[in-house]
Amino acid sequence: MSTTAAGSMVAAASRQPKGLVAARRLRHLKILLPFVALLAVWWAIYLSLDFSPQVLVSPLAVWHAFVHLVSHGVMAEYASTSLSMIGFAALLSLLIGVPVGFAVGINRYAAHALEGFLRFLQGISGIAWLPLAIIWFGFTHTTTLVIVIYTLIVPIIFNTMIGVRTIPEAYTLALRSLGASRLRLVKDVYLPGGLPSIVVGLRLGMGYGWRALIAAEMLVRKGGLGDLIFGARTFGQIDRIITGMIVIGCLYVVVDRLIVQPIENLTIQRWGVLRQ
Amino acid sequence: MSEPDTPSPAKIVVSGFRHFFETADGPLQATDKIDLAIRAGEFVTLVGPSGCGKTTLLKALAGFIRPTEGHILCDGKPVRGPSPERGVVFQELAILPWRTVRRNIGHGLEIARVPRSERERTVTRLIELTGLSGFEERYPHELSGGMRQRVAVARTWAANPEVILMDEPFAAVDAITRLTLQEELARLCAATAKTVFFITHSVDEAVFLGDRVLVMTRRPGRIKAVIDVPGRAAGRDWESFKVDVAMQAIVEQVLRLVREERGAVAPAALASSRRENGLGA
Repeated sequence: MSTTAAGSMVAAASRQPKGLVAARRLRHLKILLPFVALLAVWWAIYLSLDFSPQVLVSPLAVWHAFVHLVSHGVMAEYASTSLSMIGFAALLSLLIGVPVGFAVGINRYAAHALEGFLRFLQGISGIAWLPLAIIWFGFTHTTTLVIVIYTLIVPIIFNTMIGVRTIPEAYTLALRSLGASRLRLVKDVYLPGGLPSIVVGLRLGMGYGWRALIAAEMLVRKGGLGDLIFGARTFGQIDRIITGMIVIGCLYVVVDRLIVQPIENLTIQRWGVLRQ
Repeated sequence: MSEPDTPSPAKIVVSGFRHFFETADGPLQATDKIDLAIRAGEFVTLVGPSGCGKTTLLKALAGFIRPTEGHILCDGKPVRGPSPERGVVFQELAILPWRTVRRNIGHGLEIARVPRSERERTVTRLIELTGLSGFEERYPHELSGGMRQRVAVARTWAANPEVILMDEPFAAVDAITRLTLQEELARLCAATAKTVFFITHSVDEAVFLGDRVLVMTRRPGRIKAVIDVPGRAAGRDWESFKVDVAMQAIVEQVLRLVREERGAVAPAALASSRRENGLGA
């Protein structure tokens, strides 16, 4: 009796993971479904309407263009320009934005005074700064970098500020009564307490910044994926344009899912859930 | 009220303490002329209606706020800011959620740069004393409400302050756990000879723990009455406390004094008392 019960339990236990694995696989497939659908619609339209290659090309042509660009090292060069630009901009934005966010968040009056201003800045997209930036810095990487950092840094400052301000006051009061200095409060309370918000700000900023980067590259024309697709337009290379667009989307997903999101999950697991 | 002929010297002296908060509708008076002397090693409890300025007084004692009027002396020296000599235990959870029990309790010692081995010894002793053994490496969210407050109490005790200020530390804990925590606190205080200033809403708690019970008027609060409680809290337990006729007479007396104030609280005063709590924070 008890042995059969135990036996069936063991069987159930060994069966369960298999079901879970299958379910997980299905879930992954579900993510791919819309892409497959888009591809099918595209191909159907292409086949049924007989477009000239100046207007629309087949998915197969795009694939060939992709293979060509990759095998000749062109894609790597343009993509690495964009990626290193967003990486550098993110790093600089964190280095400047987090301390500024702390300084503002700790000071109640500064936070009140700056909240409206930061929202106002959020309304002026980085691209709207392009005319001024081009006049000031010319068609250079500096212009692109300034636009991307501007776009990235506002959500980082804003979320750092929010993060610091949502830390319960009792945490800091308690530590001050234990003799903590200002520096100690930053290290032991504000930094760990604000980290989940900082990461949220970084993730938002990377999303906005990536878009601003492509736009800036299209105007500045000094390399990067924006330059690639805008340059292809001049020669009517539809296949290159679409290839570039797909790579832009894919790289964003890769950066977000493989780098930014894991950091976010880590901090939320470590801090977010613990904070309650 | 301040007794010049007391045997033990006054650890804390409050004289002419009045405090105002700035609000949008002008200054709001939180307390009115509080005079108070707390002897070294004494356990003083303070009861009063919501918003009467209890927390304001405690924050001033801690050094978080400067009194608008009057003086606060600790060991004869004016209180100018928070100091590790005066530990604070808050009502709300004030231990850090990203630190384990052990690291939370040792935090004050870490700040004071106490060498690691000595720190570990103190922390281990307090973990045993507060019944947290086996939970050293847990995070606060893995603990019950009662255990979290034990961690907060242990953290304050670990830093070894001479004065401990407690602001309704057990208010958020369930009723049964609260009884245990109160008994433990009484024993802990007796074992470590601390001067304690303890705010509470509960008349039972005030009488059970206190050597003296102060009753405050409604806002702007001042000390309305001081009631001595005979015997030491250390030996008390709730079962015998509840059937002790002398103790229950004191409870009734304090309750009457508090009720007089509670009955007189107008709804408007309650609403602004909520505002005061926000501003006092």
